[in-house]
Amino acid sequence: MKLKLSYNYENSGKPIISEIILKMKTPINILEAKLNQDSGEMIVDIPASDRQLASIIDLFGEAGVTVKELTQFIEIDRTSCTSCGACVSSCPVQAINQMPDWEVEYDDKKCIRCRICITACPFAAIDLT
Amino acid sequence: MSDERGAEKLRSYEEINGKITSGDATILTADEFVDYVQRKGLKAAAKEVDVVTTGTFGAMCSSGAFLNLGHSEPPIKMIKCWLNDVPAYKGLAAVDAYLGATAFSETRGIEYGGGHVLEDLVSRKDVELRREGYGTDCYPRKSIETTVNIDELNQAILLNPRNAYEHYNAATNSTESIIHTYMGTLLPRYGNVTYSGAGQLSPLYKDLDYETLGIGTRIFLGGGVGYVVGEGTQHSPQNQFGTLMVRGDLRKMTPRFLRGATFHKYGPTLYVGLGVPIPIINEKVAASAALTDENIYTDILDYGVPSRNRPIIKRVSYADLKEGEIELDGKSTRASPLSSFKYAKEIAETLKAWIVRGDFLLNRPAELLPTYRELRLLEVKKPEPRVKDIMTKNVVTAKPSDNIKDVAKMLVAHAIDHLPIVEEGKLKGIVTSWDLARALAEDKVRLNEIMTTKVVTALETESVDIVARRLDRHNISGAPVVDSENRILGIVTIRDLASLLRR
Repeated sequence: MKLKLSYNYENSGKPIISEIILKMKTPINILEAKLNQDSGEMIVDIPASDRQLASIIDLFGEAGVTVKELTQFIEIDRTSCTSCGACVSSCPVQAINQMPDWEVEYDDKKCIRCRICITACPFAAIDLT
Repeated sequence: MSDERGAEKLRSYEEINGKITSGDATILTADEFVDYVQRKGLKAAAKEVDVVTTGTFGAMCSSGAFLNLGHSEPPIKMIKCWLNDVPAYKGLAAVDAYLGATAFSETRGIEYGGGHVLEDLVSRKDVELRREGYGTDCYPRKSIETTVNIDELNQAILLNPRNAYEHYNAATNSTESIIHTYMGTLLPRYGNVTYSGAGQLSPLYKDLDYETLGIGTRIFLGGGVGYVVGEGTQHSPQNQFGTLMVRGDLRKMTPRFLRGATFHKYGPTLYVGLGVPIPIINEKVAASAALTDENIYTDILDYGVPSRNRPIIKRVSYADLKEGEIELDGKSTRASPLSSFKYAKEIAETLKAWIVRGDFLLNRPAELLPTYRELRLLEVKKPEPRVKDIMTKNVVTAKPSDNIKDVAKMLVAHAIDHLPIVEEGKLKGIVTSWDLARALAEDKVRLNEIMTTKVVTALETESVDIVARRLDRHNISGAPVVDSENRILGIVTIRDLASLLRR
């Protein structure tokens, strides 16, 4: 599951992620981080069971971090898309694939939000949600 | 009947059109024909099938349209003309212009180009038209700003000098960084393969010997009807790089099959939908139309090398490419197309439907396309500066064990910013004046503690343009010049490049 974590003035200096990793013994993959002394935002990917995830979300909450679950990173505008495939092999994590009829399919679970597909698309059909 | 090219041994154009009109013709798409030949054999298939339809939908940069924009009151002789801020070519009569697919907007940049304007025109959107003239006795007006749509123009004729490449090479990237090319985004270290062309649906591959393709061949173009004008530019049929020059009425086309596009950091282009009907006039044509993706080969080239002689990394078939995985450099690499197989198939099917309905007849070309054309390359006759012409030869160097303070003094004494680190004549690293300033501030002592070991270098024989681009890409201000064994020969800096501009 991918989460968006919002930090505020009080908690942005604390090693919250490290503490949660140690406590829950789960890896947390940081995909994006914009942090300064006042506030910040992180996108993380946590490969954990639903039950574990609930506890992790609670721990972030207790530390004063606002958590939002992210379900979809990019959107493909199907009227602009020609199913050409320019985005497919440019995706470094195989989150975009072509079906036998060449239609392009996007797998949100694999997406790391790198945005390469957005610029790779010749028709500007892909955008962040 | 003779054996000469274009011999109508199995059926004539008149016979085919007669059958189309009476509803008795057998028309298959190239995909269907391939299957049919595998089931029934070539001889039987050639006997039964009258026409095979093909299709391709890909980026075709050599595309554009002649537009006659109409005379205003008072009239103007345009010497400059823009549509949605994209400049059109105006070295023609007063109100004729040619809008090329790769020209781009003077306000929006490469995100919007001639290809996008053509799509907007075909979509029947209003387009901003700006014209400038210099005023003559017969054309007194000097400027116009208005809007036009395609139905207000006298003519809007798509005339594409080079379309429908028979096949095209595939692309990969051996370098350490991501590159953005007309073959799309190429990931570092052979991270992916992109390719173009329609494989077994490709119009020109289905008539390999140009038995039927020629001046006047009626085709599917941009969703409407078009014609082959002749061979395309860079037509090189003996290497299976044949091309077509085509024309069609832009007003009868549809935005589904004529789409503006931009390759990131490369520029705009036009995706053109093109389909050719191949009449099965003899068995040679049938054999060509029966070629499968397994029989159609292309080379994967290294686009990391910015040269017209890009190294061939591997030769593969379109069947291999369509698998989506190619073995490169000892590992499996993803491959994906840039041209749409989905649309190519739709074009072949649409063309088939037109013929089946009797709406589209075939015609015998006035002249067949040539089967051989020498491909000439441009030799630059004016001498151009090479790295060895501008580099500093008496380069000051240091050893990895040298003391930072001594080296700092040396930079000051020679008034230089770059210091290659050399051991036994070979380049080991580099430090800049900025590295030294920081090292002194952090109390470092030896050069090998701070030197950059992954050095961006140049070769003596390289063109200055290539090295300037390399410096810019790595955001650095100089590169040591080395030979093939990494022995230092000199250094080239932005100061040397600047001196070139003063010459």
